[in-house]
Amino acid sequence: MMATKRKVAKKVPTRKKASTRKQTAVAPAPVHVAKDTDDVQRQLKALCDTGKPIEVRMAALQSLGAAAFSVPNFESVNADYIAALREVSTDSHEQLRRRALGILTRNKDGFAQKKLLAGLKDPTKALLPPEKALQLLGNDVHADAYAVARAIVKKPPNESAKREALRLLAADTKSAPLFEKVLGDKKEMRENRQLAASALNSLNPEKLQLQARKILKDKSDYADIKATSLTALEQFGDDAALGEDKALMQGVTRFGSSKTTAKYKQTARRFLSKYDQ
Amino acid sequence: MEVELQINNGIAPEARFVTWSPSPCRIRVTNPSGANAPTVSVKIASVSAANGGAVGFRKGTTGAFASTLALTVPTDGTTVPFFTAGKFGQPSTNNGDVKIEARVGNTLVGSVELMVRIRKNANKLTNAERDRFVAAFAKLNNQGLGRFTDFNNMHKNPNLSQAHSAPGFLPWHRAYLLDLERELQIINPSVALPYWRFDQPAPNIFTRDFLGASDANGTVKFNNGNPLEFWKTDNTPGISRTPDFPTSQAPPNPMSEAQTLALGTQFRTFRGMEGDPHGLAHTSFGGFIQTPATAAKDPLFFLLHCNVDRLWAKWQRQNGRFDPGAATSFDERPTSKPGHRLNDTMWPWNGITSATDPTRPPTAPGGAMATSPCVGAPVPPVRVRDCIDYHGVIDAASTMGFDYDDVQL
Repeated sequence: MMATKRKVAKKVPTRKKASTRKQTAVAPAPVHVAKDTDDVQRQLKALCDTGKPIEVRMAALQSLGAAAFSVPNFESVNADYIAALREVSTDSHEQLRRRALGILTRNKDGFAQKKLLAGLKDPTKALLPPEKALQLLGNDVHADAYAVARAIVKKPPNESAKREALRLLAADTKSAPLFEKVLGDKKEMRENRQLAASALNSLNPEKLQLQARKILKDKSDYADIKATSLTALEQFGDDAALGEDKALMQGVTRFGSSKTTAKYKQTARRFLSKYDQ
Repeated sequence: MEVELQINNGIAPEARFVTWSPSPCRIRVTNPSGANAPTVSVKIASVSAANGGAVGFRKGTTGAFASTLALTVPTDGTTVPFFTAGKFGQPSTNNGDVKIEARVGNTLVGSVELMVRIRKNANKLTNAERDRFVAAFAKLNNQGLGRFTDFNNMHKNPNLSQAHSAPGFLPWHRAYLLDLERELQIINPSVALPYWRFDQPAPNIFTRDFLGASDANGTVKFNNGNPLEFWKTDNTPGISRTPDFPTSQAPPNPMSEAQTLALGTQFRTFRGMEGDPHGLAHTSFGGFIQTPATAAKDPLFFLLHCNVDRLWAKWQRQNGRFDPGAATSFDERPTSKPGHRLNDTMWPWNGITSATDPTRPPTAPGGAMATSPCVGAPVPPVRVRDCIDYHGVIDAASTMGFDYDDVQL
């Protein structure tokens, strides 16, 4: 049932493509949701038909996505849907590749995972920029992805890729020391420190609570990281233990009365009010 | 003299929440000192804080609600029933921002603070309402270790057939949302689930202080201090979401509210909204929310579905489709799969797994539906029919304890 196949060059300079993604975004075409499996088959043909305008193919993809929620007996055409997605995952149009690989990885598709991993190991095979590939691999993390992510953290092609590699490693118990280091490093991108706090919170919650207290007591750390630390204490901390930490209360009081945003002041006030401070 | 006012027939603070539906209440004299007759005339009235909610009263199960009510109350402690309901168009913004005062003559003899707790348009929440909702949701997630895990697991393969592509789609999701909302209310009882009107611009939702703003990679960013910065599902932190539309505008493809409400007067045709607008609202994004098996990993899912449920509620009111027994209120088919017929119990709240019924999924995450201190419905094990008369229009005991800011009783 598949329309003509068209394999595309995979040695596209994906970074350049990524940077121009917004400019190449397609104008939407009208979308009609498939009502039954016959409709689905028609939409699959449209999706794979490289002779059709990309707007029409993207509309078909959106329609198919909606049909996956609503069409009775969709499972009977699911194999065709997956096959079509795999086919267009190497299409020349990056937005289509992104969407197809996104759906596939969210359905834990081994084919897509292999393609994305291969692209991270060898950029000439990359179907997507590394940050997108890492993000999609995070939908179903396997040990072999950890090794690639660790390598990217050490030598990132860009900051977004490093951030997504860190996000992927957040499920890796062996990476707790890495996140401890990132959170404590004032020279690190603050967004990465924010992510490290989140990762550490589940990999080693006690460690995060200690680090968060340390950050709030540190007069020289950044206000936004203090806000993240305070949220971690407020949301997930041991109220009784926190209440006994006078230096922490002083640190939070200082934070709440410093030249910081109204929102942060409010967070500090809310926290302190729990302890009648 | 002192009187006690019982909201939802209870004195617990958790029971002091009302909607547009009538809530059964009672009043009794707890301290008769000063009384010189077997009964006393007590006048109750609604007193609203600035921007607060408002309630009305009536004596019996029928009739109009008034802003005051005179009651003859025995001084021996016997309770006298009455009903209260939120005044449509004036929901609360904070817990306790409306008070019922009881007076004998001009003397205040009792009062109780309550909340008209209503599901509202997420784009129009006050900052305080938004922050309370976000904090409760983050707490429910508890960095991927909390009760939210059950809700994530309910809406995954191989369980989706219990909820989708069949007549039970709308009832199942109504129960699902209510279960989640009640869990949020255990964390903070002043929280009601807000809805995302996907046929209108909703720029306030897609901000770093609320449900996050997506970067070019489709990673959702939060401001430091937004508790959702610790969001985690399936061991991975964060949310992936790429809008296909400028978030200052509405997505272009889902049909409008007016079109949805015009899908027909029979549930059989109205339930076609599962594809459009529901499905197209999901697929107006890339990321978690685009795919059935991962959609519930994004908190936006629950605001989207709250709007889907609101549309159903609006359609029900427009067409009078509250009677579960009426053929127009539900698409009853003997051939529908289990969980999608009117009298079927719904998974996972029924606790039935494939161990005893091969048509059901292998596990039933979350157990029974959370109970409410305000209403008794739905009674376990939760049937499809239990989710239709949510207002208690046909049977007052069916009231599920939620309402929408723009759907009148």
